[in-house]
Amino acid sequence: MKAPTETVDTDVVIIGSGAGGAVTAATLARAGRSVTVLEEGPWVDPDEHEPFSLAEMVAKYRHGGSCAALGRPAIAYAEGRCVGGSTEINSGLYHRLPEDLAAEWEREYQIEEFGPAALARYADRIEQELGVSRLPGAPPASSAVLERGATKLGWRSVEFERVFRYEPDGRAVKQTMARTMLPSAVDAGARVIADCRVAKLVRRGSRIVGVACEQTLPDGALRILLVRAGQVFVCAGATQTPALLQRSGIRHNVGGGLKMHPTVKIAARFDTPIDHGDVPMHRVTEFAPGLTIGGSASRRGHVALALADSDADYADALAHWENVAVYYAAIRSEGSGRVLALPGFRSPLVTYQLTEGDMSRLARALVHLGEVMLAAGATELYPSVTGGVVARGPDDLVQWWDALTRNRANLMTVHLTSTVRIGENRDRTGADSFGRVWGYDNLRVNDASLLPEAPGVNPQGPIMAVVARNSDQFLADT
Amino acid sequence: MLWFERQVVGTLMAPGLDAGSRSVVEHYVSTTLHSMPEHLRAGVAAESIVLGATSWLEHRRGRLDATRLGTRVARWKASKIDPIRQYVRLLESLVIFAENELVPEPG
Repeated sequence: MKAPTETVDTDVVIIGSGAGGAVTAATLARAGRSVTVLEEGPWVDPDEHEPFSLAEMVAKYRHGGSCAALGRPAIAYAEGRCVGGSTEINSGLYHRLPEDLAAEWEREYQIEEFGPAALARYADRIEQELGVSRLPGAPPASSAVLERGATKLGWRSVEFERVFRYEPDGRAVKQTMARTMLPSAVDAGARVIADCRVAKLVRRGSRIVGVACEQTLPDGALRILLVRAGQVFVCAGATQTPALLQRSGIRHNVGGGLKMHPTVKIAARFDTPIDHGDVPMHRVTEFAPGLTIGGSASRRGHVALALADSDADYADALAHWENVAVYYAAIRSEGSGRVLALPGFRSPLVTYQLTEGDMSRLARALVHLGEVMLAAGATELYPSVTGGVVARGPDDLVQWWDALTRNRANLMTVHLTSTVRIGENRDRTGADSFGRVWGYDNLRVNDASLLPEAPGVNPQGPIMAVVARNSDQFLADT
Repeated sequence: MLWFERQVVGTLMAPGLDAGSRSVVEHYVSTTLHSMPEHLRAGVAAESIVLGATSWLEHRRGRLDATRLGTRVARWKASKIDPIRQYVRLLESLVIFAENELVPEPG
């Protein structure tokens, strides 16, 4: 028997609680608005699981981490599905939107009040509130490797800031949304409903009059909810936001134009042990923003996976896995993809097509990554290319140029953006300059979907700045 | 997890794993396949049925040979046909990750 529908009334409903939803909720609740946040995933104590562990993947990742954008090649991706969204599972690296990109997007997409100066004050605010900082002491070996390799090659490298605060005892605490913006929103009166999946938006003419959802209760029972709200923010991320809009019959420039940072990896073996507890803070920025080199999570499982990607015999390297760490090179891609809600399916179909230029850039990225690692003292490099030769010296890297093909590349990404672009050009965008969806008076998108392109840097900082800006504009308008 | 997926996972596991560890790995793979997006899971299941047809017939006749299945899986892993190669890669990735995250290190 179908459960009876319960009704919840609120001024503003926010769907999603990641970098977009949490900042929106905190900004609006502090301004005195009645706010309800709906999050599909569970509320998980940020300290409950070891970062990047399998237990964390099961608890906090969408589909346990097994998502892929289909295409040639398919590209594996990961995104959060818990209170706090992907901020709970990412590395916490922080970067502002590069000023030249902000200016370019403002011009190309006709985005009002989007220039570097307009965004800088919101970035200031976010950084002040979250506590963006560099490591107080010397970097760990896994990070120093990147700096050392770059220095030997005469390339630029940077220690990135992170959204971390450091306790008096030296413990680093990532300032996730579940630790920061969401408690702040709750303190200001917001309500967060976890384990609550939104099925669709209820439309009446050019207004959204409600949000139909189902909450899974602790005993497994379903509670059917209709949330009636004057204003609706969809902040479910670059795959789920367009899927929800499409399920609700809203399709104008929604879901196309997906952007990401396709990434190749290598497992690099050294003569001495490498730390594995954290993600390296350094990045090689010599070729940024088109190509960035950095380090990944390198637990034993990640090391084993990266070693296996090349299909070479890796038994000895795995036996000495303490000396192995995983590094990556990510590109800004000229290809694009699509998110498509499939009738009858809960998960959207995600596709991505790399261009031939992207494949060339990825091959170049792989070779540059190898050069840095060898310069840093690595003795063996296992590329994420099936059949790719294990490189032990610069001469071996030459073979990688031709090895990375569509049939052999094993790619992944963690940054997905641009499925509901903002701007005043209605032919190219799904929402206006401040995220209001074209054709709807009270429906806004406020998350990674809005970024017109992939930013070439970790997008959390740019997302939060744009979201804070849009939230302020909303308060001024309503 | 489908019958043929269980056979492939068994083939991909490290030979020295004890029964308890094999069960832990198999459970993880099964859980992860179950939690995949439906359309991806459907694709994997369809491949399992197609690729597993021969093995299923051999099994019915009591002639399923683990060595021969291992050879087939190794061939598919190097296949030029993307979906076949990705099928093995997916299952192998899950097995490797579970073996190295859930099973205690030897010694």
